[in-house]
Amino acid sequence: MAAAEVLESEIKALIVEALALEDVSPEEIETEAPLFVEGLGLDSIDALELAMALEERYSVTIEDDPERNQQIFASVQSLAAFVADQRAGAGGA
Amino acid sequence: MIPLSHWFDARAPADAPVAFGREGERSHGDLRANVAALAARLAPAKGGDLLLHCEDAYAFAVGLLAAARVGARAVLPPARQPGTLRSLVGEIDGVLLDGDPPEAIGGKPCWHPLEAPESPPPLDPSPLDRDAPLAVLFTSGTTGAARRVEKSVRHLEDEVAVLERCFGAQLGPDARVLATVAPHHLYGLLFRVLWPLAAGRPFLRSPVLHPEELAPHSGDEAPFAVATTPVTLRHLVLRSDLARRRGSCRAVFSSGGPLAAELARRTAEVLGCVPVEVYGSTETGGVATRQQQAGDEPWRPMPGVEVAVDAASGCLAVVSPFVSAGEPVGGGRSRFVTGDAVASVEQGAFRLLGRADRVVKVGERRLALPDMEEHLRRHPTVAEVALLALGMGAGEARVAAVVVPSAEAWDALAAGGRRALAKSLTEHLAPDFARVLLPRAWRFVAALPRDAQGKVPSDALRALFESDAPLLAPERLAVRRGERHLDLHLRIPWDLVFFDGHFPGSPVVPGVVQVHFALLALEELLGRAARVRALEALKFHDLLGPGAETWLRVRVDEDGARFRFSLEDAGRPERLFASGRGRLEGGR
Repeated sequence: MAAAEVLESEIKALIVEALALEDVSPEEIETEAPLFVEGLGLDSIDALELAMALEERYSVTIEDDPERNQQIFASVQSLAAFVADQRAGAGGA
Repeated sequence: MIPLSHWFDARAPADAPVAFGREGERSHGDLRANVAALAARLAPAKGGDLLLHCEDAYAFAVGLLAAARVGARAVLPPARQPGTLRSLVGEIDGVLLDGDPPEAIGGKPCWHPLEAPESPPPLDPSPLDRDAPLAVLFTSGTTGAARRVEKSVRHLEDEVAVLERCFGAQLGPDARVLATVAPHHLYGLLFRVLWPLAAGRPFLRSPVLHPEELAPHSGDEAPFAVATTPVTLRHLVLRSDLARRRGSCRAVFSSGGPLAAELARRTAEVLGCVPVEVYGSTETGGVATRQQQAGDEPWRPMPGVEVAVDAASGCLAVVSPFVSAGEPVGGGRSRFVTGDAVASVEQGAFRLLGRADRVVKVGERRLALPDMEEHLRRHPTVAEVALLALGMGAGEARVAAVVVPSAEAWDALAAGGRRALAKSLTEHLAPDFARVLLPRAWRFVAALPRDAQGKVPSDALRALFESDAPLLAPERLAVRRGERHLDLHLRIPWDLVFFDGHFPGSPVVPGVVQVHFALLALEELLGRAARVRALEALKFHDLLGPGAETWLRVRVDEDGARFRFSLEDAGRPERLFASGRGRLEGGR
């Protein structure tokens, strides 16, 4: 499995665990599907908890830029890209 | 009307009926004789505290009046369980019980209220002091900790006078009072015993467990009135023969919880009386009444009761002569702030949102859980529902739902699984509730957990979410255990986690899971981990699906080296779901 895919499935597991989702297994979450409202149907409290879980797990920092955050939290794919990006930044600096 | 304080000097005909039931009829003369005899025996407890608990409401009345006569307070335990009695026994001077004295009362003197009325001395006719404390009651409370509430003679007799003023004409002078509620709670104390005694209406003395038991006591021609709770009323309307005597039904009272509009309507149809709902609490006594004709009518305070919204809590504040807790405000009245959130008070009439602790905050939004429950109940797949707020994920409060699916919904559950049902219920709520308020966890159960008062304890609801036991294991209906066998009567729950994907549209408990249940039972029988060396003769005879009831039987042989198990249909023992045997490592 490519590194991106590993990260994506990690994040799927994190979503199910951190949000205590019932009846959803990580494999069922589609990588590119919207997380909020449509798709998985997460809400504003989930957004906060997911952000907290991501910060704890990956030591990433989520900025107070609403537009950027909307892009980051759009899907598992965009979340994984964001985490990979921050890690690369931290490693390369 | 005989006010309680003047019961002792009242001149009622000695043959006037007072109580009836399986234990026999009793007259006013009998009651005076019993009270006189008991009061004479109670002399040593004068001015003390007497624990009073009787199954027979007539014996209860004798105990209460005799205690009042000797100036003792009657302490009314909410239940007769040894634990309850033990917790109270330290503070009391004696016990009045209509049964064998249980060990839990220690060495305290114990009297049977109806024992040996042998030529008692005449009953002292002097009136009771209206301000004398008469009874100590306990509120069940939502927090679990019982609180003591003291009632003086005047609190009780004044409320009885108001009840008679409001409903006396409707009942008529001689209606038989059929109450299903125990006299140890305020509602039963007033409606079952004190009001009938004061008004000269005979009351049912026998304890009533099932509503079916009421009909035989309704008499042949006599008019009757019913005092009950919403839970019992539902069964009474559905199953009781009382409907045959609807022409004689004068009134139906319901208290102890909100009455569904639909049940109010059904009651009117079946018994010919629109039920009178009584709203009150142990602390406040009766506060308001209503009759739901169209549904959701506001509550109207009883005469002498003032209500307002308490600014600090948003809860209903009550000022009345029946309030025996809270702060005195003069004129024999007190003010007590209830735990019930008020929606509005208009021209005295008010609407309630439910228990204040049932109004929760989720994501900064207020949600009255009863409101959402009402919404869910309108969905055809929901028979009953209870909501609660639970800390989930990082501890954020979320709404969780416990649903009893309707008959049709069981099929939907079987076909689509719990996930599809939860989704359709969520979609049903979505147009009316903010997204963060939608329930995040669902449990589908055969019945809501209820306590003896018919209330749904929040602890019991929470427990359904605390472990995943209801999803991983079958419900246990009965257990039979011997030295070398264990039989478990099980019901396969509809939301068993093993049904997901096995198979869509036709859920079946996988064979390996049936063996898993059997091995768990084996370990329970052995009292240790079972190390299975081999499984033999495994047979899966028939499909085991959701809703099925099965006897799971496990046997071990004498040396503990071999075992057998079977799962059989609880309704048809000859039909087997699975069977097998095996060998264990290291028998005895």
